[in-house]
Amino acid sequence: MQTILNIVIWVVLALHLIMILVAAWRTWRSENSAARLVGLDVASTLTTAVLILVGIIGNNSLFLDVAIVTTALGYLATVTIAKFISDQRVF
Amino acid sequence: METLQQVIAMILLVLGTFLSLVGVIGFIRLPDVYTRLHATGKVSVFGLVFLLLAVSILTPLTAWKGILLIFFVLLASPAVSHSIASAAYKAGVPLAGPKRDDLKSKLERGSDKDV
Amino acid sequence: MFYLSSIIALFIVYLMLTANITLPNLVLGLLVATGITLLMPKDAPMLFRIDRLPRFLWTGMQYAFVVFKDVVLGGIATARLVLDPKLPLKSGIIAIPTGSKSELGTAISAHAITLSPGELVIEMDSDGIMYTHCLDVESTAVAADEAQAKRHKLLSSLFD
Repeated sequence: MQTILNIVIWVVLALHLIMILVAAWRTWRSENSAARLVGLDVASTLTTAVLILVGIIGNNSLFLDVAIVTTALGYLATVTIAKFISDQRVF
Repeated sequence: METLQQVIAMILLVLGTFLSLVGVIGFIRLPDVYTRLHATGKVSVFGLVFLLLAVSILTPLTAWKGILLIFFVLLASPAVSHSIASAAYKAGVPLAGPKRDDLKSKLERGSDKDV
Repeated sequence: MFYLSSIIALFIVYLMLTANITLPNLVLGLLVATGITLLMPKDAPMLFRIDRLPRFLWTGMQYAFVVFKDVVLGGIATARLVLDPKLPLKSGIIAIPTGSKSELGTAISAHAITLSPGELVIEMDSDGIMYTHCLDVESTAVAADEAQAKRHKLLSSLFD
């Protein structure tokens, strides 16, 4: 059972990395800055997922702390850029 | 017991990956910013939630951290979706074929030129 | 009273993050929670009332169940729409009145609407009307008022 679980985790990790690449490609080819912001948000969420999977593989709970900080910073950055798009200034 | 944990974690991992995949497919296929936010902001967040549940089941020592991150993600992701949608509407990003727009008469919108 | 509820919530979060229950860690957590509480503005809305904690927890669980049901149903509908080869989009913006007086209740019902897939609050005006973008205008416009009434009943018993 352990080997099947390992295979599943590695396949899921590969799928997530491919999804990050696809999201980056779609972000590159989108039509306006709001759509690009959506792409960056997806990429940051998927990055958190990759961190969690790496934490399972390495059996290291430290990656969960890193994931918490990454999520918080990603959300803050997205909200700040959204405010910049709507008002043309940050503060 | 160990086997049961691993089977449940495996199911949760596959389900979470499927939801993330639906989110990314929606991000590619849907026509405008607002409809894409429905796919990405929610569905891929629930993919993340299922992955965190899998971690919490596999390593029960760190379960509290995973549950805290689930709460945090569920609390914060609607705020992010709302801020992107509000910014796009105020900047004047057009809607793809709206059946109905109750907000149009209420709000001054910018032009689409500068985004 | 506000200080106490905020300190308790922050202390629980600190314990979940560090996950060790030794005496120095408990004292440090209490100090950190108190420090963060003193930095908050004085007139911030109170999270929960200590004297009504059991009823708060019970109503909160009912509310979480209602939101969970909405989220699962909306998630299935959105996933089917995304994977549909013909992509039958009927998107649009509808107005949903909140019916709630307090600011915290309005914010939390907007959070619940945005959390459930297929509905997304874009703008909110001073009368408490939420302008909601939804993927399927017709079915959402029928169901939205009833769902909002159900949420409003639970939320008003939580926060008023």
